[in-house]
Amino acid sequence: MEKLKKKMGRDEGHSFNRWDIFSILISFLALTLFFIIPPPSGLSHNGWLMIGILVMAIILWITTPIPIAVTGLLIMVMQPLVGVEAAEDVFHSFGNQAVFFLIGVFILAAAIEKHGLHRRIALKFLSMFEKSPRMFTFGIMISSAFLSFIMPTHGVAALLLPIVASILVAMKAIPKQSNFGKVSMLAVAYGCSIGSLGTPIGGARNVLTIGILANEGIKISFFEWMKYSMPVVFIAIPTVWVILQVVFPLEVEGISEAKKEIEEQVGRMGGISRNEIIVSAILSVTVLLWVFFSSPKYMGLAVISLIGSMLLFFTGSISWEDVEKRVPWGIILLYGGAITLGVGMNNTGAGAWIANAMLDVAGNNVYLVILFLIMLTVILTNVMSNVGAVATLLPIGLGVAAGFSNISPLLSSMVVALSGGLAFMFVISTPGNAIAYSSGYFSTRDLMKAGSIVNLACIAIIFAIAVIYWRGVLGI
Amino acid sequence: MFEKILLPISSEFYPRNAMRRGVFLAEKFGSSIKILYIIEEKTLEKADRISDIYRTQYEKEETESNMEQEYLSVADRIVFEDAKKFFDGKGIQFDGKVIKGEFSDVIKDEIERERYDLILMGFEKGCLLHYRILENSDIPIWIESAAEGREVILAVCSNLAPNQKVPEISVELSRTLGWELRMLYVVDTQDNVEVDKTGLRSGRKSEEELISAGKSFLEEMTRNGIKASMVKGILEKETIKAAKKIGAGLVVVGREQKKTGIMGLSFKTVKKKLVEKCNYSILFVN
Repeated sequence: MEKLKKKMGRDEGHSFNRWDIFSILISFLALTLFFIIPPPSGLSHNGWLMIGILVMAIILWITTPIPIAVTGLLIMVMQPLVGVEAAEDVFHSFGNQAVFFLIGVFILAAAIEKHGLHRRIALKFLSMFEKSPRMFTFGIMISSAFLSFIMPTHGVAALLLPIVASILVAMKAIPKQSNFGKVSMLAVAYGCSIGSLGTPIGGARNVLTIGILANEGIKISFFEWMKYSMPVVFIAIPTVWVILQVVFPLEVEGISEAKKEIEEQVGRMGGISRNEIIVSAILSVTVLLWVFFSSPKYMGLAVISLIGSMLLFFTGSISWEDVEKRVPWGIILLYGGAITLGVGMNNTGAGAWIANAMLDVAGNNVYLVILFLIMLTVILTNVMSNVGAVATLLPIGLGVAAGFSNISPLLSSMVVALSGGLAFMFVISTPGNAIAYSSGYFSTRDLMKAGSIVNLACIAIIFAIAVIYWRGVLGI
Repeated sequence: MFEKILLPISSEFYPRNAMRRGVFLAEKFGSSIKILYIIEEKTLEKADRISDIYRTQYEKEETESNMEQEYLSVADRIVFEDAKKFFDGKGIQFDGKVIKGEFSDVIKDEIERERYDLILMGFEKGCLLHYRILENSDIPIWIESAAEGREVILAVCSNLAPNQKVPEISVELSRTLGWELRMLYVVDTQDNVEVDKTGLRSGRKSEEELISAGKSFLEEMTRNGIKASMVKGILEKETIKAAKKIGAGLVVVGREQKKTGIMGLSFKTVKKKLVEKCNYSILFVN
């Protein structure tokens, strides 16, 4: 067989198509309309313009004619430009400690990736679930979720993709035809998304929530986050796994080829290296510090995160070159745009105004309001960046809390933050879905079919946890 | 008739039934087969674009390289191994190669570089492929469907196509395959023009004129001993309805010139609508 490979053609600049130009024009036109049309009663002119900036950002985040981080920058630029907030105030909200927490997390993740520690953990997990094809797919979900507790989900999806794909090839699973292939790859995508809810590390939206709540004077530690989110993860993982088994009944019975492939991959990795030991020790210490000492009276999340990162440099397990290679700085800009959007919406009263309009629709029923908030977030997170979705809805959630004595700001924020991770339906919903899709093992229709059921189940889970556990047991 | 068949397989979708159809056609026509495994750049780029700011360029390239390796093992260990099983045992001559690129572009390059008589491929709605090749190829394209039809060929002619190649190829296919041939003439009520033998569209015509042209066509077919009937409606819908009614093993469609889209914004073409909605195999004769 002849093998012909074309050279990768990258970095040729981005050319806009007609649809891109149309989206950009529409987004600016939307903002202009908010400038021209007078605000409705009960909302200030600045609040009205802030909603205009929000609409502009939503259009750009959904259609993505420009990178989503650039939309983040645009949000920061537009606020002083249209006179909603002074430049100083806009950039002030960017200087939150959550930014440094994010940077530290990315440096830790870079060290894990550089030395292949995540690969070793994933293979170890998978080897524990080799009893049957069903258990194996459960193992994939558990591995994805666990790794997403300690590093950003996109890295986890990118790691598991080749591991799982090579196992599927060894098992001769035909792409898009084998249900075992579909379930395995969907388990990667969904396992990552669900795992990302578990700790503040899992996604920038979690850090964003912590940052916006900090601006409201509500400080959440690592442990507290886990206390709120872990029940959702522990219930969602087996539920979603069962749904996948029902939607795509497995056709394979044996798992011997997978076992052989995992053994081969473990063999190729060799024994654990000195650097892997150092990185896992630093990671364990950092996680322990986060769990026990990240509350404001001790060190806070960012300090611990940076201590962990510096230890990596002091022990020589990571270099600055590695940081340059593996730390996605763009996400910091997205985070910046998102947090200034949230703060701007709050300060101008725009969030509260939208929340009141929402309450007019949902009425005074606390359960209905929570459900409405979850569903709105899920819809939005499926069609745009989940950081963007959370940034859009957090101020509204806080507005709901302000107008509703039965709902605390913490409860409404956690509802939005966790629902923001439920992006299961489309390839574009989250990078984890796109990376898993590129394996070729499931179609967009499969994703839609499984994703819509999984979304409904997870909406029910978050709703139940919010009502029974957060409000009932924890009293938040 | 089909001496050399091109069987393109995208990394997005492996249609095993197209491989089986390849065996069937190669046996009937004594064809040789060239398998083209296309590593879809588009899928990788899509994942890249969505990962955008979440992952660095270095990480994206690392993932791409890993994925390319996996696609190559799918090609080697699944597709080409299947091909050996399917073709070697039957003594069918075949060859294969792996190319990275965009599905339609790669096929277009390949048919410009070498002479082929047929493109045989599958179709998957739930993927990122655009299948532009359906509009851009002069070579007949056989879209193999998963559904098993009866040994009947449904040849579709209409006021929107030149109706030259469809009767000719359908008769030959029917003879070689030993399948029954049924001809359907559709008077399209959505686009009331007539397309001449050179493929040019006329001005607007009345329904009576279109029906009368259809009747003359039917008479000509009947003179040649072909069972033919006429319906009035929307070309793609009537084709799908008729294919379903007779359980056609193959639907032969010609180079229709139906106008699609409004104000320069293009919508789905007739061909795309047909492959998406028709459960039976289709042969597009361009």
